[in-house]
Amino acid sequence: MNIFSELYGAYFRIAAKLLTLGTTDDKTVREAIFRGGFRDSILFLPQKLIPGSEDWGLFRREKDGSLRRVTKNAPPRILTGLQKSWLKAKLSDPRIRLFMEEDALAELERRLSGTVPLYRQEQFRTTDRPTEHDPYSDPEYIANFRKILRAVKDRSILEIGFVSGKKNRIFGSFVMLKMEYSPRNDRFRVYCYQLKGGKISDSGMINIGRIRSVRDTGQVFTEEISMDSYFSSRKCSSPAVIRVTPERNAVERFMLEFASFEKHSVRDPETGEHTVELWYDVHDEIELLIKLLSFGPVIEIMGPERLRLQARDRVRRQVELLEKFDGGWKNDRP
Amino acid sequence: MAGFSELIKNFDKTRDYLRDFFIYGSKIRSDFNRKSSRTYDDEKRRAESWIGDYMRYDDSVRGRQVSISVDSGHIPENPLYSAFYSRSFTDNDIRLHFLLLDILSQEERLPLRRIVDLLESEYGFIFEEQTVRNKLREYTDEGIVLAERSGKSLVYSLTKDRADEYLSAVPGLEDAVKFFSEVQSFGVVGNSIMKSLDLKNDLFFIKHNYLMHTLEDLLLPDLLRAIDEHRYITAAVFPGQNSSEKTEREMPLLPMQIFSSAQTGRRYAAGYAPDLRRFVAMRLDNIRSVKVGQVCEDHKRLDESFRKAAARCFGVSFGFSSESAGRSPMRIEFFADPIREYYVIERLQREKRCCTLERTGDHIFTLTADVLDVNEIMHWVKTFIGRIKRVEGGPSSVRQRFYSDIYRMDKMYGGDEDEHIQ
Repeated sequence: MNIFSELYGAYFRIAAKLLTLGTTDDKTVREAIFRGGFRDSILFLPQKLIPGSEDWGLFRREKDGSLRRVTKNAPPRILTGLQKSWLKAKLSDPRIRLFMEEDALAELERRLSGTVPLYRQEQFRTTDRPTEHDPYSDPEYIANFRKILRAVKDRSILEIGFVSGKKNRIFGSFVMLKMEYSPRNDRFRVYCYQLKGGKISDSGMINIGRIRSVRDTGQVFTEEISMDSYFSSRKCSSPAVIRVTPERNAVERFMLEFASFEKHSVRDPETGEHTVELWYDVHDEIELLIKLLSFGPVIEIMGPERLRLQARDRVRRQVELLEKFDGGWKNDRP
Repeated sequence: MAGFSELIKNFDKTRDYLRDFFIYGSKIRSDFNRKSSRTYDDEKRRAESWIGDYMRYDDSVRGRQVSISVDSGHIPENPLYSAFYSRSFTDNDIRLHFLLLDILSQEERLPLRRIVDLLESEYGFIFEEQTVRNKLREYTDEGIVLAERSGKSLVYSLTKDRADEYLSAVPGLEDAVKFFSEVQSFGVVGNSIMKSLDLKNDLFFIKHNYLMHTLEDLLLPDLLRAIDEHRYITAAVFPGQNSSEKTEREMPLLPMQIFSSAQTGRRYAAGYAPDLRRFVAMRLDNIRSVKVGQVCEDHKRLDESFRKAAARCFGVSFGFSSESAGRSPMRIEFFADPIREYYVIERLQREKRCCTLERTGDHIFTLTADVLDVNEIMHWVKTFIGRIKRVEGGPSSVRQRFYSDIYRMDKMYGGDEDEHIQ
């Protein structure tokens, strides 16, 4: 079984889609390539599908100009051995119970009874998995998860009671937008808008594990919602500007650790230093700050001022603590 | 551009380039000095084809730099899955694929000769028996075709498993596939199921999604096989970015587990390195390819030692035994008000991994780290800057570096002298 196989390739997929149609035409072929192909596929693929000197022979030109497939039936959508073994591996993942009832799991188990899993959980070890994560086998958690997922799909308005990060009890009406999973925390959250008087009052995020009650109001939120507007409402107004020095391989370490951020970096060829602009969710500012501080003096937060001042305050407080309590500080510091 | 193809035989080179675009993002064409400029142009064009929406071009005095800039938590599908969908093939490969599927979906259990005849009589294509036999054998390995013995010869039939039928017969499976297709490992396999059914992930985003690491999934099947069969591998390692090495080198390893970091998305092949005579964790993004080799006769003993050592890894480093031998564990005291600053203690508790945490005073919480490489712990400890009351034990070099770091940071951000605010 091979992951990198033409069986799953874009060209095979486009051909399968067109063969499913039975009869097609040149325009439809080009549209299918635009939608399903790579950026340049339109330069390479039409001549392979449309009868001519280079074609694969999968279509025949009819008298009326249309294209007719040479095959008798639509190609079956086969689940390959690789795909089955992937599903089998997922059966051992506790998170699958969030999506499927026991009888559905049993049915999948039955279908995959002769399949060897693609991998086993014990072949992997997450070295920095937090000790706490969402309770994936807790019936109440599962029930809440499913209600939220259903509401994401049909935009129903929910009344939710939950405990905030600051331990406050909050209750209100919300429209669910999308689910978010954090591998770092092994937790699910939901992006939402809080509603007051049926109108959007605030953008928010609720940890599924902190939900105490969920009630479907039976109403549906019908206004159009754009995820771009949601994300931009939470995005920092100016990026964090970070000077990254080459000391201790900091450039590579920094770039890898912040690879998931939208960013822009400029390298100074004289010093090898990089100046990196990072855009982030303002609600994650503390998380960003502590991550930046963990790099020590090999990076420097240049701006914005608020972020730099927070770094300065924490470092100042740190020096005071060491001066007061740690004998080694006076002896061993430079 | 003459000679350019969107499709590729393997993506070793592509992985190398994407890493540079993705990670560094500040290199110009001439910085890619390991390869020809033609290779650079082709690889850049492929990257643009897959992730053009997220590529960024900046003109600097040194030249035009290409980078990939995207908040990966805000996109529903890893765009680098496209790399897996770009495998090259021959004209006969695609012809035979659809024709064999068509023939076998109409009739059950056909012998090779009959299939070859049908290809000619029904579709007008003449294939050599050997060509068709090879393709059927390949599809048997892929689980698409079933081969059974009937008398002296084999008869072939199509598997009964259909992706659309699975999803309709198993409630909730579609949502599960949408979710698992975006998380490590092998998310691309789930994505391939969705693509075959024209489905899109419209439900989930993954926070801090380390997109690039999906390309390393290509190495995993061989690594997992070597782990299961207790075999050595030879890893071909990309030349170092910052070292003077210009050519790749080979490194033998007896892999025992895949380590992964939820914090950085990085994955490692962890195991015994016979050349170094110790346990190591090799970054998968540094490995170009893997060759599976001989069975290790001493696996049981090494595996037992590995499990014991891994339980004392704070991250992925096994350290050097000479560094950890005879050292007292590191003890770090943190200062936090358990009522008002409960979140600090909660985070310590949640993230301490194999260390122990105990309350040793009114506002004092002491972490004891008996780990193989204390250097690893200090990166995490510095996320608590402003809370660290005292550092004891462990190697003095580690403590001195910590004090030196704080001292330098104090100078860097220093109070009234701070002139760097933008």
